[in-house]
Amino acid sequence: MYLYNEFDQKIVDERVNEFRHQTQRYLQGELTEEQFRPLRLMNGLYIQTHAPMLRINIPYGLLSSKQLRMFAQISRQYDKNYGHFTTRQNIQFNWPTLESVPDILADLASVQMHAIQSSGNCIRNVTSDPLAGVCADEIEDPRPYCEIIRQWATLHPEFSYLPRKFKIAVSGSPKDRAATQVHDIGLHMKINEQGLLGFEVLVGGGLGRTPVIGQTIRPFIEQEYILSYLEAILRTYNRFGRRDNKYKARIKILVRETGLDAFKELVEAEWQAIKGGPLRLNNDDIQRIKNHFTPFSYHQGASDTLLTDKLVSDSTFKQWYQQNTQAHKQRGYRIVFVSLKSPNRAPGDATDQQMDAVANLADSFSFGHLRTTHDQNLVLTDVKQDDLYTLWQQLEELDLATRNIGTITDMICCPGLDFCSLANASSIDIAQGITERFNDQAIELGDISLKMSGCMNGCGHHSIGEIGILGVDKKGEQWYQLTLGGSDSQQSQLGQRLGPSIAKENVVNAIDNIVSVYKENRTDNEKFAKTFNRVGIQAFKDKVYDSNK
Amino acid sequence: MTLISNKQIIADNWRLLDETHPTQPGNSIVSLQFWLDNKEHLGQHQGELGLLLSGDENPEAFCNELNHFSLIVIEIPNFVDGRAYSLAQLIRTRYQFGQEIRAIGDVLPDQAGYLFRVGFSSLQFSTQELATLALSKLNDFSHHYQPAI
Repeated sequence: MYLYNEFDQKIVDERVNEFRHQTQRYLQGELTEEQFRPLRLMNGLYIQTHAPMLRINIPYGLLSSKQLRMFAQISRQYDKNYGHFTTRQNIQFNWPTLESVPDILADLASVQMHAIQSSGNCIRNVTSDPLAGVCADEIEDPRPYCEIIRQWATLHPEFSYLPRKFKIAVSGSPKDRAATQVHDIGLHMKINEQGLLGFEVLVGGGLGRTPVIGQTIRPFIEQEYILSYLEAILRTYNRFGRRDNKYKARIKILVRETGLDAFKELVEAEWQAIKGGPLRLNNDDIQRIKNHFTPFSYHQGASDTLLTDKLVSDSTFKQWYQQNTQAHKQRGYRIVFVSLKSPNRAPGDATDQQMDAVANLADSFSFGHLRTTHDQNLVLTDVKQDDLYTLWQQLEELDLATRNIGTITDMICCPGLDFCSLANASSIDIAQGITERFNDQAIELGDISLKMSGCMNGCGHHSIGEIGILGVDKKGEQWYQLTLGGSDSQQSQLGQRLGPSIAKENVVNAIDNIVSVYKENRTDNEKFAKTFNRVGIQAFKDKVYDSNK
Repeated sequence: MTLISNKQIIADNWRLLDETHPTQPGNSIVSLQFWLDNKEHLGQHQGELGLLLSGDENPEAFCNELNHFSLIVIEIPNFVDGRAYSLAQLIRTRYQFGQEIRAIGDVLPDQAGYLFRVGFSSLQFSTQELATLALSKLNDFSHHYQPAI
């Protein structure tokens, strides 16, 4: 993984000092709340329902065991012994005090981590495929490019006061595991007809109140021009993005109101003027970063006899193996998903003990590294096949081996009304209701992506869930709007509204009815999405609303 | 009002042109509209001219006029409005304006380093205290990832 040099370290250390001073000035009344707000947000600090919330970047989802232990330590020292992993490869702490945040940031800096631009109207944490570098379908490892973009975006003098937040995601595989199509900019690594490496550039995707799938602004840009092209898009957005209404300030609205072609003309004109400038990358620049992402020294010809035996003798292990692990591009190794969707905790949450223990497991079994996913789980990416059984036993003890990766109980869920000051409705209790109802049949139901947000800001990505749940406020009561048929895989798609919103006490039954229509109609191993597309929404609508009468 | 430039507090040798008495000599700042309407008279002006722009001004509206001015003033209406940053950047790099570019209006001391890095060469603050703080904040970072202007 990328390791800070002296220069990187100095920047995060100096950033901590800067924020410490800003916090002091705020507490002494030298900065107003209005002035302090964007400054604290750009250091990850929100003021939430109960306490401040601190969001920390996990750049492109890559963590060392040492860094994970620091999260555990921070949760013990400054919070309530847990952290919440988010859809954009961040971790959030919900209970720190404002005064302690500079100390937390200093602790993070000591392990090469930071919260710079994890919030605010600036370029956010660059996210990527959690399986980068280990999946077999990869065109190119996107992580070095994510790091190049991270550095360019960090404390960018021109783009720190944008009209609104700006999110970039990069994928190196045809299968989109980073939701790139619902980002302000989505980058897909490509090799063109001349054999050159570069990116397809998508622009204007996003969720929230107005969900939009990103459109291709440039089918191919060579790697040397990626920063200048990003700079051209950002400059165009910074100049012309709307600032009169925060709900219309994202780049997706600018692209829609300008029209993709006209927007593209503006960007291309800007890019032509700067493409040969200092942002043009040379091979040495790229190689210097790539050197940080060389493959681990894998054990060649690793045995799999133990694995084969255990798959026969232990059916629970076999179920976990089938559900929670995936093929690795290196023979003899396997990718292991650590489920943060146990029935006993809110989706995406991990306790300090779990974090410490996973750090130890990463050291023992996966080269001391791990990843966080868009689906709010953790991944040990490089596990020897014959270590799987031991690893599984330990994960079981830690309540981190729930056999539900990709299933209906592996849901994406925002913190909702319990923590968030924006939310209209709670998500965590609905998630618990769904988990209880479907826990025993999750595997049998197969892949179903269920995503839930407590308000239309859509942090739980409900619009791209095969089953989407959106919390709405109806005269002070919590109601839920359901959508079906969304997707965030290869070709993203927004879900269709099922019908009128549903009262809180009926939501789990409604999901049960949706699932029963699927079960009645599916053929053989047909997945939910396919059955839905074949059968159409009406059958689901009839079942949910007829039985609700 | 206190002005900083080149890492120190400097005297302000400029004033806004009184549009009712435009013939008054001395270094004067004029709005773009006033300049466009009175170019010929102002050509005879005794003293240097500065051009006042808002952060959302389109460079095409003034880029051919730049050689008449030895100062560009960009007004920032609200410190969270980042358009002035891109405008200064364009004036400096695309239109190759080599003289003073000044930020006025709602500027936080914390933004001083950013503003200088996108091409501003002077910043105006409402008090000497804020100007001094802004100067000290220029030392907050010793390294940067982006190329400087």
